[in-house]
Amino acid sequence: MADLAIDPRTELNPPLVKGAEGYGDVTDQISVITEQKPPKQWYMAMGVALPLLGLLGICLTYLVSTGIGVWGNNNPVGWGWDITNFVWWIGIGHAGTLISAILFLFRQRWRTSINRAAEAMTLFAVACAAIYPLFHTGRPWRAAYWLFPIPNEYLHIWQNFRSPLMWDVFAVSTYGTVSALFWFVGLIPDLATLRDRAKSPVRRYIFGILSLGWRGSASQWRHYELAYLILAGISTPLVLSVHSIVSFDFATSVLPGWHTTIFPPYFVAGAVFSGFAMVLTLLVLVRWVYSLQNLITIKHLENMCKVMLATGTIVGFAYGTEFFIAWYSANQYERFTFMNRAFGPYAWAYWTMLLCNVVSPQFFWFKKIRTSIPAMFVLSIFINIGMWFERFVIIATSLHRDFLPASWGYFRPTWVDIGTFVGTIGLFLTLFLLFIRFLPAIAVSEVKGVLHHQISTEKGGH
Amino acid sequence: MAHKEHQANDNYFLSPATWTTVRNSLAFVALASWIALAAGYALDRQQFTFSYLVAFAYFVSLALGAMFYVMIQHLTGSAWSVTVRRLMENIMRTIPVSALLVIPVIFGTHQLYEWTHAGAANDPVLSKKLGYLNNEWFIIRAAITIGLWSLFSWRLYSVSRSQDANGSIEGTRTAERWSAPGVVMLFVTASLASFDWVMSLDPHWWSTMFGVYFLTGGALSFMAALIAICLALRSAGYLKNSIRDEHYHDLGKWLFCLTVFWAYIAFSQYMLIWYGNLPEETTWFHRRLAGSWSSMRPLLVFGHFFVPFFVLMPRASKRNLKLLGFFAGWMILMHYCDLYWQIMPILHTKGIAVNWMDPVAWIAVGSVYGLVFWSGLKEKPLIPVGDPRLEQCLAFHNV
Repeated sequence: MADLAIDPRTELNPPLVKGAEGYGDVTDQISVITEQKPPKQWYMAMGVALPLLGLLGICLTYLVSTGIGVWGNNNPVGWGWDITNFVWWIGIGHAGTLISAILFLFRQRWRTSINRAAEAMTLFAVACAAIYPLFHTGRPWRAAYWLFPIPNEYLHIWQNFRSPLMWDVFAVSTYGTVSALFWFVGLIPDLATLRDRAKSPVRRYIFGILSLGWRGSASQWRHYELAYLILAGISTPLVLSVHSIVSFDFATSVLPGWHTTIFPPYFVAGAVFSGFAMVLTLLVLVRWVYSLQNLITIKHLENMCKVMLATGTIVGFAYGTEFFIAWYSANQYERFTFMNRAFGPYAWAYWTMLLCNVVSPQFFWFKKIRTSIPAMFVLSIFINIGMWFERFVIIATSLHRDFLPASWGYFRPTWVDIGTFVGTIGLFLTLFLLFIRFLPAIAVSEVKGVLHHQISTEKGGH
Repeated sequence: MAHKEHQANDNYFLSPATWTTVRNSLAFVALASWIALAAGYALDRQQFTFSYLVAFAYFVSLALGAMFYVMIQHLTGSAWSVTVRRLMENIMRTIPVSALLVIPVIFGTHQLYEWTHAGAANDPVLSKKLGYLNNEWFIIRAAITIGLWSLFSWRLYSVSRSQDANGSIEGTRTAERWSAPGVVMLFVTASLASFDWVMSLDPHWWSTMFGVYFLTGGALSFMAALIAICLALRSAGYLKNSIRDEHYHDLGKWLFCLTVFWAYIAFSQYMLIWYGNLPEETTWFHRRLAGSWSSMRPLLVFGHFFVPFFVLMPRASKRNLKLLGFFAGWMILMHYCDLYWQIMPILHTKGIAVNWMDPVAWIAVGSVYGLVFWSGLKEKPLIPVGDPRLEQCLAFHNV
């Protein structure tokens, strides 16, 4: 993998992994998590996640059997929590791709301890996101004909390729596919490790199939690293394209508050922002439950806080630019929309968003807060909430007061809206907990790559 | 250690004779072009002002690109870029001279901007903006933005210079501390400056993306200029072992990356406006597609994006210094075309009308920035010799 010569001076290159461990210790520490019975906290978390997943099942069944009228969507707010949640989940996935692809190309070696879990979160977030457009069709069994250009006699439907919603289908499915490939390719050497450690033949058989006959020979590593680099190259434009296209869903319209040119990069920054917040929230817990403090060090967490500070400030900059340009445009509709956002019926949502997204990351300017786990945990939750509100504010405030005052309205979620949203959190948590239980949550082979440098530096080599 | 040898091989100081020769040529070019420009001013003030604005916007954006990159190197603790960072800093260090060079723009507002005209007060849209778009605030904003840029560029440069002597790690930390708020400052001020200087040429029009577009173009032309300068020094026998093909490979990656990012921003802005199809927004592109201006469209689409995209993509072409050098020069030209296309259609509404003052203004403004840049190389090391990450950089290799 791309390397910088590591400078022995620790003030410039502090060790990425703590403790004078050997390679075997890292393997043991991570593999054991998947080989033993999970700790009681895992069962407790499952105890929360599974009922929520059940709630999702109930809400979706009720929705399909009754119709999407059970949601709070109305006229003029034709898009409500469904698209809010869709964008929120898609955004959360972005941390994984950024860490696995862009930070890899930028040779940010600290990514090795967090990339696996973040990539898994990407996949689970995409799965949660996909539920919303699928079920917003009301008849998900027909959705394939609406979403994909499949010739059909049955519905007489042909897709409108000029619609950004159509682009979304391709963007998100490409994103899901490439992320899954990337994640799986990264897993192969670790799956082989689990296979080799397996005591039961069933376990050995399953991991044997999954690891695709990995033997760890030099030529396999060579191909593996090349494949990894190529996938990183392919994923990098995806980090930008997916959320850019999601932003096109709004920005190609002529609605004030939606139709603005800064949307693509602003949405991408927001996505990375929310993704890091979610990764941080969950990893802080995982690190604590499984005592991974030596592998996910405070330095990793601090770097994630810095990424959140940077992306949060970009988001704040975008809010400011939008507001300024709305005034500068001297267009009464633009001006009205933004004044209405800040001081209209949804002012509570707007100020919640500003507080969570723009004010709260500013605490990360202070090293004390960047290295305090309780502080960063609380702030990351604020950011998760704030980024949900950002999408809600964009959607609801731009729609609810239409051009004619006669068609003004207000969006209120129903219990099905709330249940579906909370339910997808249950789905996400369930998948994540299963991942932690059965697969290595930290990339063993990559951490060893980092460790290699530390060990050789300690020996005075190089 | 093996990489100590690199240091021994390279001369980090320009020979006084070389320095003086280049300085004299630059000074001569500056003198000649400014005299010509003065004549142009007397002959056709309108044309002079527009040609000048393109040149001014060009070099300001380039210097801002340098400042952005210096800050990013500090914030990410980059080791690969240490040997090129002093050249970045020297480009960044030219920013304060913008305070002088902005003066013709300030005196030319009446030629340039519709919002200075008497009719603006009766225009239903413009009349609402005149509290912001007026000469006084234009000057105040220019003073504040250039002042802030100068402060940060001076601070970052002097920290780096003092590290040459003491090699202290504290200098690295200080630079980091200035860079973090610096990036925020840069985005806000550069956006406002681009709104004032370029976007308000079409005072009815707006685009929230415009500041990002301006900065991206600047960063791209900066990266191209940096590669060109490194290669020029190399051909004169300098820094051959300090900036090796490994470093050029990374610089080439940045050139490629910025080409793509520019296309992403430019395409998003165009596509969203085209798709929305609101007359008050499409007018900007409509104006820039009038007559022969429409030939700029394929030039920018292919020349600014597709050709460099496909050529620079393979690893081999980023390590082929001749090819890289050619594309560095090409992108320098393309950024000029981009700005020319943004600014000139206001003056020549019917089609492209190249004037002799266009290149002369570019050379005149460029030679002043060039002289300031060059003064930073006199008897001072070409690389940050005291940087704690220097050894790491010299030993750096892509795998």
